[in-house]
Amino acid sequence: MRTGSFDRYASVLFALIGAAFLFESRNIAKSAYGSEVGPNVFPFLLGLILILLSVKLFLESFKSVQNNNNDREKLMVKRFLIILIASILYAAFLETIGYLISTFVFLFVSFQTMEKGGWVKNALIAGVFSFCVYYLFVVVLKGSLPGLPIWFS
Amino acid sequence: MGVMDFLMQGFQTAIQPENLFFAFIGVLIGTAVGVLPGIGPMSGVALLIPVTATLTGGMEPSAAATSSIILLAGVYYGAMYGGSTTSILLNTPGESSSVVTTLDGYQMAKQGRAGSALSIAAIGSFAAGIVSIIGLALLANPLSEMALKFGPAEYFSLMLLGLAAVSGLAGGSITKAWMMTVTGLLLATIGIDAVSGVARFTYEIPVLFGGLEFLTVAVGLFALGEVFKTILHKEDDQERVAKVGRVIPSRTDLKESAGPIARGSILGFFIGVLPGAGATLASFFSYIAEKKLSKTPEKFGKGAIAGVAAPESANNAASGGAMIPLLTLGIPGSGTTAILMGALIMYNVQPGPLLFSDHPDVAWGLIASMFIGNLMLLILNMPLVKVFAKIIETPPKYLLPIIIAISVFGVYAVQVTTFDLYLLIGFGLAGYLLAKNDYPLAPLVLGLVLGPMIENNMRRALTTSNGDFMVFIENPISAIFLVCSVLWILIPFLLKLKGKNVVVNVEG
Repeated sequence: MRTGSFDRYASVLFALIGAAFLFESRNIAKSAYGSEVGPNVFPFLLGLILILLSVKLFLESFKSVQNNNNDREKLMVKRFLIILIASILYAAFLETIGYLISTFVFLFVSFQTMEKGGWVKNALIAGVFSFCVYYLFVVVLKGSLPGLPIWFS
Repeated sequence: MGVMDFLMQGFQTAIQPENLFFAFIGVLIGTAVGVLPGIGPMSGVALLIPVTATLTGGMEPSAAATSSIILLAGVYYGAMYGGSTTSILLNTPGESSSVVTTLDGYQMAKQGRAGSALSIAAIGSFAAGIVSIIGLALLANPLSEMALKFGPAEYFSLMLLGLAAVSGLAGGSITKAWMMTVTGLLLATIGIDAVSGVARFTYEIPVLFGGLEFLTVAVGLFALGEVFKTILHKEDDQERVAKVGRVIPSRTDLKESAGPIARGSILGFFIGVLPGAGATLASFFSYIAEKKLSKTPEKFGKGAIAGVAAPESANNAASGGAMIPLLTLGIPGSGTTAILMGALIMYNVQPGPLLFSDHPDVAWGLIASMFIGNLMLLILNMPLVKVFAKIIETPPKYLLPIIIAISVFGVYAVQVTTFDLYLLIGFGLAGYLLAKNDYPLAPLVLGLVLGPMIENNMRRALTTSNGDFMVFIENPISAIFLVCSVLWILIPFLLKLKGKNVVVNVEG
């Protein structure tokens, strides 16, 4: 798989990252007590190297020949987006609605997205997983996780 | 005390009931991880760090570090072994180091000899484990004593060599590998600077003061990245899993594979010691070597038992060998050892020459437990091969969301911030995009783990030389390391210019 166009965008992005570090490192104190080299030197150098490497990649990206045999497999964008959004919501609501409910909902939605149907089995697996993890971690191992919604307890 | 005394002490640590238990759990989960498509040794080890952190929560720090590193190392070589199961039964390697095993392993399975292929792989892995432990025990002391004499300049150059080695072998494009390394190093500078106490790139955001947690980054890049890839790309229709058949290998099989196992183990061990080379190269080289040595090279690729025995021994020996630079010099040679190193640092145990004097129980306990772990693998795998073969059939429909859930749980259990969860998902996306476009991920994690140490040593060296960068060249040992790293970059480059194909490591 040739990756020419991605490399071009990526090289610009990485150059920007390098430049950001390079630029921002000027705001860091230049010297540390008793040392000639302050905490700014290392990020500064690295930022510079990253920019140089990005330039190299940018140039290389033109060399890689595009082979346009469109054997692009069909990407499952829809199910990916649903699961991605579900994960983000899962992360966002984990603390407020608690581990048990958020994990159950996330797993159930994802199972259904991966393959429709069999919702009793899916709900069962999602429920057993979230309960087992919670039980093992919090009750057996004495770890701490937000269990149920805050307004519940 | 001699090596034997230390080793005996190590065994005393390793045969404590809880450590036996941890080794067992590690090996068991490791094998499952290796068998399951979608999680390799790297994401497996990363995912289990939070679990071990809670398991060992009530123990004193040093014992907790020993137990968890025993478990995690168990996952590492368990996964190495488990990867061979899918290669043989399904023709799909569980991880890159068992790609070669598919060549002859799957052919054997087709001929109904899957059982003996699997058991020879187990025996080979066991023999290799023994070889690498002997090597580890012999080399550990001299190497760490030598490394104790190193100053900051030598350390800086040595770590640079480690990075050069990993980046040079990490994938198709050396430019991309170096970009990943530098990005990892840059990400490591976020947070409070350990030397001066100055906050860098934190912008007054409290969660950033501690820096980006390597665990979050590693789980995101490897575990979530892989899951996202499998979700996006429609998985191939379930292939038929070959029947396992008779597990006990026949006498001729044993006789034919004894030589390849011995050679594979020794070759693999030495390749494993080299930073950056790792298990994948080891398995390739030993396969090629066996084919050259064999009286019947035409049998290879058609189900020769030597073609399973040699690479499987080599990749396990290499994973043992990779422990040497990690434990003695504090330099991880691969993605997985970088993650192990991150785990040790989480427990305030700094791998490196001082490990053997400061925490002999951790170092020797680990070495001894590798022996016990390998024994367990052998005992576990002979009867349980059929059970593990069943694990392959776990439908991805359930597996993928559950891996996401475990990643979220693991990161949250250790970090307890929602910010890290967003970071996890972000790095998951980045991991998918980067890996899809041939950007190797292991160098990034390596840079992240080694970053603070490289920087500190560089600054300490420069402080003693009053900011003169020549100190790295004037110091003879440091100069040698630097020359080696330059060569490591240049030689593949020159070979490529001459149009030769360079064997590259796909994944640590």
